[in-house]
Amino acid sequence: MDFDWSPEDAAFRRALVAFLAEALPPDWDEVAKDGPGSEAQVAFSHGFCGALAARGWLTPHWPVEVGGGGASAWRHAILGEELWSRGEPRGPQYMNVNWIGPAILRYGTEAQRRAHLPRIARGDVIWCQGFSEPDAGSDLVALRTRAVREGDAYVVDGTKIWTSYANHAEWCFLLARSDPSASRHRGLSVLLVPMSLAGIEVREIPSVVGERYFHEVCFRGVRVPAEARLGPEGEGWDVVTYALQHERVGAPRYARAARTLDRLVAALPPAALDDPARLARLGEARALCEAARLLSYRVVDQRARGLPPSADANVARVAGTFAEQWVADLALELAGADGLEAGGFADAQFRMAMTAGVAVGATEVQLDLVASRWLGLPRG
Amino acid sequence: MDFELDDDQRAIAEAVDALLAKHAGPARAAALARDGAYDAPLDAALGEAGWWDVALAPGAGLLEAALVVDAVARAAGAVAAGAVALAVPAALGRALPGPIALADEAVPGPVRFAADARTLVVLRGSGARALALAPGDARRVATPYGYPLARVDALLGRAGEDLGAGAGARLRDGWRLALAVELGGTMRGALDATLAYLRERRQFGRPIASFQAVQHRLAWCAVQVEGARWLALEAAARGAPAEQAALAAAHGAFVAKRVFAEAHQLSGAIGYTREHPLHVWSMRLQALRLELGGATAHAAAAARARWAGAA
Repeated sequence: MDFDWSPEDAAFRRALVAFLAEALPPDWDEVAKDGPGSEAQVAFSHGFCGALAARGWLTPHWPVEVGGGGASAWRHAILGEELWSRGEPRGPQYMNVNWIGPAILRYGTEAQRRAHLPRIARGDVIWCQGFSEPDAGSDLVALRTRAVREGDAYVVDGTKIWTSYANHAEWCFLLARSDPSASRHRGLSVLLVPMSLAGIEVREIPSVVGERYFHEVCFRGVRVPAEARLGPEGEGWDVVTYALQHERVGAPRYARAARTLDRLVAALPPAALDDPARLARLGEARALCEAARLLSYRVVDQRARGLPPSADANVARVAGTFAEQWVADLALELAGADGLEAGGFADAQFRMAMTAGVAVGATEVQLDLVASRWLGLPRG
Repeated sequence: MDFELDDDQRAIAEAVDALLAKHAGPARAAALARDGAYDAPLDAALGEAGWWDVALAPGAGLLEAALVVDAVARAAGAVAAGAVALAVPAALGRALPGPIALADEAVPGPVRFAADARTLVVLRGSGARALALAPGDARRVATPYGYPLARVDALLGRAGEDLGAGAGARLRDGWRLALAVELGGTMRGALDATLAYLRERRQFGRPIASFQAVQHRLAWCAVQVEGARWLALEAAARGAPAEQAALAAAHGAFVAKRVFAEAHQLSGAIGYTREHPLHVWSMRLQALRLELGGATAHAAAAARARWAGAA
C-alpha cells in the first residue's frame, strides 16, 4: 500500500499546473461559468484540447498504437482532477476520454478504432450520449428507441432526452432496442451515429442548471450503417454497463468541491476563520471531499491493475455526489445572498452539484448497486 | 499509488486476526463490558506477539500499526490499542509503559482506560507530560458505553516526565489518527453485525435486508465507513500530519453518529439487548466520537491546519 505519487506522476502534475497557468485566460472563470456545454466554453475547448493533445496529455493512458502515451490510469486521474476542478477546459471532450474512448477501445472493431480513437486523441471531435428517454430514466432498460435492421443499415426511430452537448456533437453514442422480442436487458445495441444523418433533430431544453445543458434528440427514420454497431448485436447493455462504470468516476467531482472550499476560504475576511463553528463546517466538508477522493483512487488503482470495472465505482460515485452537494450547500450559505448572483463560484458550484445526484444514474440506483453488488444483499 | 496490501501487510493482518480470534471477539467483549473491565490477557498476548511495537519495528510503520489497531477494534478488544500502538509512537517516536491512557486538560470528562493504565499522558496546550500510575489512582466510573472509563481530575496536578516542546500538538495528531482508525474498525464491526442479522431476520415473509428502504440506508453507511477507513489509512501512511489526522478523525466521528443510529434502528429491539452482539461495537462509537472534543473539534483543527496555518 502506498499513498504517494510516483516521481513521474508528481512531475506530470506540476507540469500540467504550470501549463494551465499559461493556457487558461485571465477571465477563465467567466468563460467557464455556464458549464462545459456553453458556447464560450465549447469555443475555448477546441484550441485547448488541441494543445493538450500536442503534448500527449489528452489520452496519456491509452495504448501507444491508438494515439496514447502508454501511461497508467493514474495519469488520466491527475488530468481529471486538475481540469474538472477548474471547470473543465476540455469542454464536452472530457466524455470522450473518460468513457467513450475506453468503450470503443474495449468493444470496437478495427475499423471503428481507426475511425474514432485518433480523432479523440487529437482532441477535435465532440460526442453526446444517447441513453435517457422521456420514459426511460433510472429504468434505462425500459428504453423504446428502436433500431430495426433493414439490409445493411439500422433504421432508428425514437427520442432521447437530457442529452448534454447534442447541439455541438458530431457523433452520438446511442443505445437502442434492436430486438423488441428479447428480454429487457437483451435486445439492446449500441450504435455510433453521425449527428449529421438525415432525420435527426436537436432541440434545446432550457434549464436553471446551465447554458445549453439539456437537449431532446429526435430520430425519425434515421438510416445508420450496420457497421456503426459497437459490440455484438443485442449485447449493448454490457457495453453501456462498462461505459457507465468508467463515467461514474470520470469527472472527479470531489476535486472541484475541494477547490471550491479553498476559494470560499480565500474570499472570506481573515477574521472569519476565528469562528470555530465556521472552521468546523469547512473542515467537515473537506473531509467528505477527501473521503470521496480516496474511494475514487481505489477505482483508479483497480483500473491501473487492469482489473474489470467493479461496484467500487458506485461506492465512489455515492461519496462524490454527497461531498459535492454538501460543499455546494455550504458554499451558498457562507457566500450569503452574494452567492445568488449568477456566475460567482458559489453559484457555479451550486448549479453543477444540483445534477450530481441524477446524472450517470440517480443516487438511488447507485445505492441499489452498492447494496446488491458490494454488500451482496438479497434482491427484494 | 497502490491501494492493495503488500505481502508483509497481509501477513500482519492475518496474524493479528488469528490472535484476536483466540483472545477477543464480541462474546468476550460483552462479558468484560458488563463490569467495565480491561482485557489484561489480550493486552499481554498482543504485546508478547510484538504488535504493540509494530510502528517502531524495522520495515514497518504507522500504516502497519493502523492495520493492527483496526483489527483490534473490529474484534472489539477491550485494550488501549490506539494509544499504545499508534498515538504515542506516532508522536514521540518511542514507546511508553503500557497500557497508556490519553487525557487533554482542556477536554473534561472521564478518560478511556485510565483506571487500568500504567502511564497517563496529559496534554496541556502544545506540551505534554507522562505520569506513572498505580492501580487505584484514577477513579473508575460506571458506564454503558463499552470501554473502561475513569476520572483523572485529581491526578492532573501531579508532576511527571516532560515529553518535550511540541509534544502536546504531536500527540493530539497521533491521538486523532488512533481515533480515526478505532472509529473505522468499530463502525465496521457494528455494520457487519447489523448486516449479518438483517440477512437472517425475516419479516413480511422475506429477509429485512431485501427491502430497498433498508438497503439504501445500509449502503450509504457502508460507503461512508469505507471512506473513513481509507482516510485513516492514508493519514497513517503519511505519518499522522495535523490536517490529515484531523480530517480522518472528523469524518469518522461524523459518520459514527449516523452508523449508530441506523444500526440500532434497523436491528430493532434485539439490538438493545446484551444477548445480541451489536452493542459491543455500537455503544463504543459514542465514546469514540466524543473523545478529544469530537467531530467539531477535529474538523475545526483540520480547517485550521489547512487554511489558517496552525492546528
